[in-house]
Amino acid sequence: MPEMTAPKTIELRVLRYCPSRDSAPAFGSFQVPYTDDMSVLQALQQIKATLDGSLAFRWSCRMAVCGSCGMMINGEPRLACNTFLRDLAPDAVTIEPLQNFPIERDLVVTVGDFVKKIESIYPYVMPKAPKTIEQGTYLQTPAEMEAYASFADCINCMLCYAACPQFGANPDFIGPGAMALLQRYSSDSRDGGQQARLDRIRGEDGVWSCTAVGICSEVCPKQVDPANAVNQNKSKSALDFFLSRLRKETVS
Amino acid sequence: MEHYDADIVILGAGGAGLRAAIAATQSAPEMRIALVSKVYPMRSHTVAAEGGSAGVIRANDSLDNHFNDTVEGGDWLCEQDVVDYFVSHCTREMIQLEHWGCPWSRQADGNVNVRKFGGMKVERTWFAADRSGFHILHTLFQTSTQFPHIKRFDEHFCVDLLVEDGRVQGAVVLSMSTGEFTAIRARAVVIATGGAGRVFRQNTNGGIVTGDGMALAYRHGVPLRDMEFVQYHPTCLPGTGILITEGCRGEGALLVNKDNYRYLQDYGLGPVTPEPRNKFMELGPRDRLSQAFWHEERKGRTVTTPQGEAVLLDLRHLGRAKLKERLPLICDLAKEFAGIDAATTAIPVRPAVHYTMGGILVDIHTATPLPGLFAAGECSSVGIHGANRLGSNSLAELLVFGRVAGEHAVAFARQAPAANADEQARAIEAKALALLQQRGGGEHHAMLRAEMGASMEKGCGIYRLGEEMQQTCNTIASLKQRYAALTLEDHSRVWNTDWITAIELGFQLDVAEAMAHSALARTESRGAHQRLDSFDKRDDVNFLTHSLAHHQDGAPRISTMPVRITRSPPGQRAYGALGEQLEASRKEAAHA
Amino acid sequence: MSESRPYLRAQPRHWWAHSPYRAYTIRELSGVALALYAAILLAGLASLARGPAAFETYRQFLASPLSLLIHLLLLAAAVWHMWTWFQILPKTMPKLVWRGRLIRQDVMSLTATVVAVVCSLLLLSLFILVGAYL
Repeated sequence: MPEMTAPKTIELRVLRYCPSRDSAPAFGSFQVPYTDDMSVLQALQQIKATLDGSLAFRWSCRMAVCGSCGMMINGEPRLACNTFLRDLAPDAVTIEPLQNFPIERDLVVTVGDFVKKIESIYPYVMPKAPKTIEQGTYLQTPAEMEAYASFADCINCMLCYAACPQFGANPDFIGPGAMALLQRYSSDSRDGGQQARLDRIRGEDGVWSCTAVGICSEVCPKQVDPANAVNQNKSKSALDFFLSRLRKETVS
Repeated sequence: MEHYDADIVILGAGGAGLRAAIAATQSAPEMRIALVSKVYPMRSHTVAAEGGSAGVIRANDSLDNHFNDTVEGGDWLCEQDVVDYFVSHCTREMIQLEHWGCPWSRQADGNVNVRKFGGMKVERTWFAADRSGFHILHTLFQTSTQFPHIKRFDEHFCVDLLVEDGRVQGAVVLSMSTGEFTAIRARAVVIATGGAGRVFRQNTNGGIVTGDGMALAYRHGVPLRDMEFVQYHPTCLPGTGILITEGCRGEGALLVNKDNYRYLQDYGLGPVTPEPRNKFMELGPRDRLSQAFWHEERKGRTVTTPQGEAVLLDLRHLGRAKLKERLPLICDLAKEFAGIDAATTAIPVRPAVHYTMGGILVDIHTATPLPGLFAAGECSSVGIHGANRLGSNSLAELLVFGRVAGEHAVAFARQAPAANADEQARAIEAKALALLQQRGGGEHHAMLRAEMGASMEKGCGIYRLGEEMQQTCNTIASLKQRYAALTLEDHSRVWNTDWITAIELGFQLDVAEAMAHSALARTESRGAHQRLDSFDKRDDVNFLTHSLAHHQDGAPRISTMPVRITRSPPGQRAYGALGEQLEASRKEAAHA
Repeated sequence: MSESRPYLRAQPRHWWAHSPYRAYTIRELSGVALALYAAILLAGLASLARGPAAFETYRQFLASPLSLLIHLLLLAAAVWHMWTWFQILPKTMPKLVWRGRLIRQDVMSLTATVVAVVCSLLLLSLFILVGAYL
């Protein structure tokens, strides 16, 4: 029978913001009793249940697959559900909403623009060779699947956008996550939509804001490697630009 | 209050909702489809499903096999005509998903691979590594973006349905980011809001699985069917309830107790064979495996972990390479949440609530008794799961019946007159605002939610007792009274999750009440509803029926409806060696 | 009228000086170092064009201790530039599959780095040999 000791507590400093009440965000502090298996998400839930019911944050699956709970934990973009207090204790934990996004309330940021970006890159198979259901599935070997597999694992958590300083400087930059999705489809052997997607990523709001900082791939919880998706498209985009000039000249 | 005119409203943008939206817009490209979801679609709980989706594909398999596995798995409480329709449409939906880009795992020659799954006679579970639900959901969401007439209402919480003149006329939704209401008028509504597992304390579900749509339909007079049947998934991490997929067992994982003994052989699932065998041992159905755990715990043969009792899921013999290829998510989950390297250490697991077999009563066309209202997915009871669901039938259900719902909602909307329920919309808004503005030091809902979860776990667990179920019914009734006097801590409008989760709790209490009362009324044991009192046997004479819970003031009224049996009369539900014997003698009898 | 009023925090002005971006900043500065070295070489060319006296001044500068220090620093920067260049290289490549397996990024980086080092050493040896012969 384990000895009953006084529960350990840890301080959580959480950036709060309620637009009807505050002119700017400010930190609030909470002392949270915790156990070694608790995640930051569970600590936030405990605050909400016992200390302050108004604390607002997104969450759902608790197992790092829905992508809802992205936030800055001790200055790093992390998922709250798989960041554990035992790794952060005993120092105070600083929790802020995702960097580079407008804050709507407490830890909730505006996600809509990101969703528009992923919608803008034709995120679906435009089949090279259309098939009917009766004709069955396309063949795709495991090797062909490897060409896009990591990009298909993106959970849309936006940690890469929080990490990207160029997105911070230019909110219209299409960004790592959308590029990962673009590359997921463009390198799918069944897809023929490469040109349509290339048309979407020209210029400074396309791939060209990227300066290969690379932190996006480091913070990605699913090893998607968005830096690869963006940077392999720079040569494609440059070639496309050159070829499109040629095409224009031959036409005129 | 804002207004929006749609032709069809779909509540919920998970697998079923998205499939319904795509089917609706494809069959009626001119119609406006409003797709409402309280979370962005890729956060829907479909995303957490891991194992796979069933569809007959092997040459040695047949629709009959899938039919029989499903009906037997459901302990003969399935609507057999619906099961027939279901199994004959699964494979085409899997193919359609593949055409839309779903990265199904492949064999070396490029054809789709299928894996073994619990209770299935032949391999027919299509899978995308061990993140099948994730890939299905993302494929559906991304595909849906190409249809301009699907108008999404992301992060809009449905507060109530608009019902007037005896038919559904739309819904009132609350924008989470502004706290403002919109009345969406429509001539047909599809509910695809998922299950209600969060009414139990330990569950695999995400926070959003709170039975919203079930409660909404229920409150408007639609019965909830078979609510007593709640699935305990046998292999979840102790404490968090995080799901460890059945796909592990499909790949050959073993379940052992603290003596390293494969205990399932003691519960009619043996004998042990050198290679994994379909419908034997770890590949038995979920209810049987969860019940076996319960017995092992009583016998003191489980392992004690800081988060409670568990058994061990042993994956070591698969080897690191196979684990990485077939079960990468599981390896990550074991590492992150249990600190375990699955290639060298067995994972402690125990049952947790996972799936709601019951739900909104619908017919084979996904139509509820309320004209214009349809329901598909986990929130519905279309009749394919009966008393216990087989793994990988649920993802397939989303697709098969999501499509049916979309198409039938379109057909209904085509012939329905225009909608108009403005006064009602205002009343709904006022009611929701009353909760927001209620002052006076009432209780906080977190307390009520915890008590509900604990009571449901006790009374409606893997094994049930009459007096405990009654106790739970009483507890829920008292919680509902206390709910009426709730006050919130947050009275603002922007992102008031205090308010939203309080409304969700109201939905949960209604659904929990239906579950507990339906369980109490079923005085037999069948499938996932097992009793340890005098009603511990299956009773086909009195209870080859569905339960129907009807909402009214006070406790729900429970009635019954007959089960549709077409060609599979109730037999003995058996797996392992006994199951094989029975099947052999069935075959002999058929040939004779 | 909605109460919603999103608040955008400004990007920290000196983000490039703080973790985790410091390594990136140093990498980019190594490119500046290379430009500096190119300027030194250009100065040499210019001196050569101006005649033997100018070139002698240049040669003496090159032999000075200050110049040695500068060149050591620039060499370090050039090596760092090369190392980080090849670390980034795999990010610019599409996924390469060989015999059914993905070619690992660290393998790509290491191979390219080794080839570059070997080529540099060969080139250096060549120049020393030719210089000795002449």
